[in-house]
Order: sequence, then C-alpha cells, then structure tokens
Amino acid sequence: MSLPLVLGVATALFGIGLYGLLQRRSLVAMLIALELMLAAISINVVALTTFTGHDPSMGQVVVLIFVGVAAAEVAIALSLFVAIHRSAHDIDVEHLSELKG
Amino acid sequence: MTVQGWIFAGAGAVALFGALLAVGLRNIFHNILGFALAMLGVAGVFASLGSDFLAAVFVLVYVGAVAIAMVYAVMLSHPLDLPHRPRKGWKIAGAAALAAGVAAALWSMVRRARWLDLAPGGDAGAARTGARLLTDYVLAFELVSVLLVVAMMGAVMVARQRRPGRGAW
Repeated sequence: MSLPLVLGVATALFGIGLYGLLQRRSLVAMLIALELMLAAISINVVALTTFTGHDPSMGQVVVLIFVGVAAAEVAIALSLFVAIHRSAHDIDVEHLSELKG
Repeated sequence: MTVQGWIFAGAGAVALFGALLAVGLRNIFHNILGFALAMLGVAGVFASLGSDFLAAVFVLVYVGAVAIAMVYAVMLSHPLDLPHRPRKGWKIAGAAALAAGVAAALWSMVRRARWLDLAPGGDAGAARTGARLLTDYVLAFELVSVLLVVAMMGAVMVARQRRPGRGAW
C-alpha cells in the first residue's frame, strides 16, 4: 500500500461520482453521486496526512468537519426535494425548467 | 503484502464496486444499497489507513443517512412499474467522457508529483483526535454544531406545508 495507490482509488471514486452527477436525472440520485465525490475527497485528506509525515489526527479532524457539513447539506437538500416535489410533482431535473429563459 | 495492504485492496474494491452500483443501476432503491456498500468500503479504507474512529463514524453516519434517504427515494422517485422515459445517448456519452477526462487529469497529476515515500506513521487514535477537536479546533467544532442547528431549522422551514389563511406559520 502506497500513497499513489490510495490516491488512485480516491480518483476513481471521484470520477464515478462525477459521472453519476452528470448523467442521472433524479435529484436523489444526483445527491448520492455528490456524496461519493465527498467520500473520495475525505480519503485524499486522510491519505495525505497519514503518508506525508504530518500528524494523522489533523486529517481526521478535517474529515470529521466534512462529515458534519455534509450532514447539514443533505438535510437542506432533502427538504428542498420535498418542497420541489410538492410544487412540481416530479424531481426529474429535465422537467424542472420553469425558470429557463 | 501487509495485512493493511490486503484490507486496503479489499475495501477499495468494495468501495469502487458499490460506487458503480450507486450510479449505474436504474432502480433508485438499488442505487441506495450500492451507496451503502460504497460507504462501507470507504470506511474499510479508513480502517486500513489506521483511522479506526473515522471508519466507525462513516458507518454510523452514512448507515443512518441511508435509512432516511431510502424513505425519501421511495416517496419521491418515479414509480418503478411505469416505463422509463427514453434518454439521449449523447448525454450519457458526454457525461462519461467528461468524468473520465477529469479522472485522467487528476491521475496524471498524482503520477507526476514526487511524493515523499513515508510509511504511515503517527498516532491516529481516537483519543488524540478528540483532544485536538476540543483544543486546537474547538472553534471549527462549535461552528459545525451551530451550522447543523441552522440547517435543521432551515430544513423544517423549507419542507413544511403552508396552508392558506394561516399566516406565515
């Protein structure tokens, strides 16, 4: 196990998440893809602080704050989805085009 | 290969497989199960890097989040028994090409950098992390808790049903 190997797994996870974010049409599925990208970034932070001679607990603190902010983001996003579903009866992004010029 | 190396290989494979299930399948319920698998793999990667506490946090937080997200997905998603709307092939191809391009650019950056070749070291235990969180990083810790309270209140405000004739509340 070496640093580039761990970063490679994180890069692949980030790429899969980006593909899902661009390709899916349901807002819930896009949120799942976004969470995958956040997990890839968390792996990067932990791997970089672990392997480069820094204090590994610093990376863990940063990732714990990531998790807290991501939880807040998910709460807001899911409540927005409920509000959108209530007014548009759909959470498909290709149908949510009322503001399109 | 060391024990950590084997754990990392298994956990990384599980994470990537779960991620592929989470974005590749059409059924939103299967996506959520794939996401749970991917997060389990990510927790395994953290464990193999020596961050046991972070692995436990990921399992706890994301298994809880997944349980809630399942309810939302079943409630909001397109009914599964109805036929799927057709989709344009060039959009899928474009998304795949862009994601592959970004991943390739990031990977070439990783390859070209000259990393210090250090073995994982230092104390990654929960005790040290907790001490850090409540001394050096206590302001960030408290701000995250304030952010969570504000986000929860905002979520309730956004999602609640407004009935006509009863005022803003």
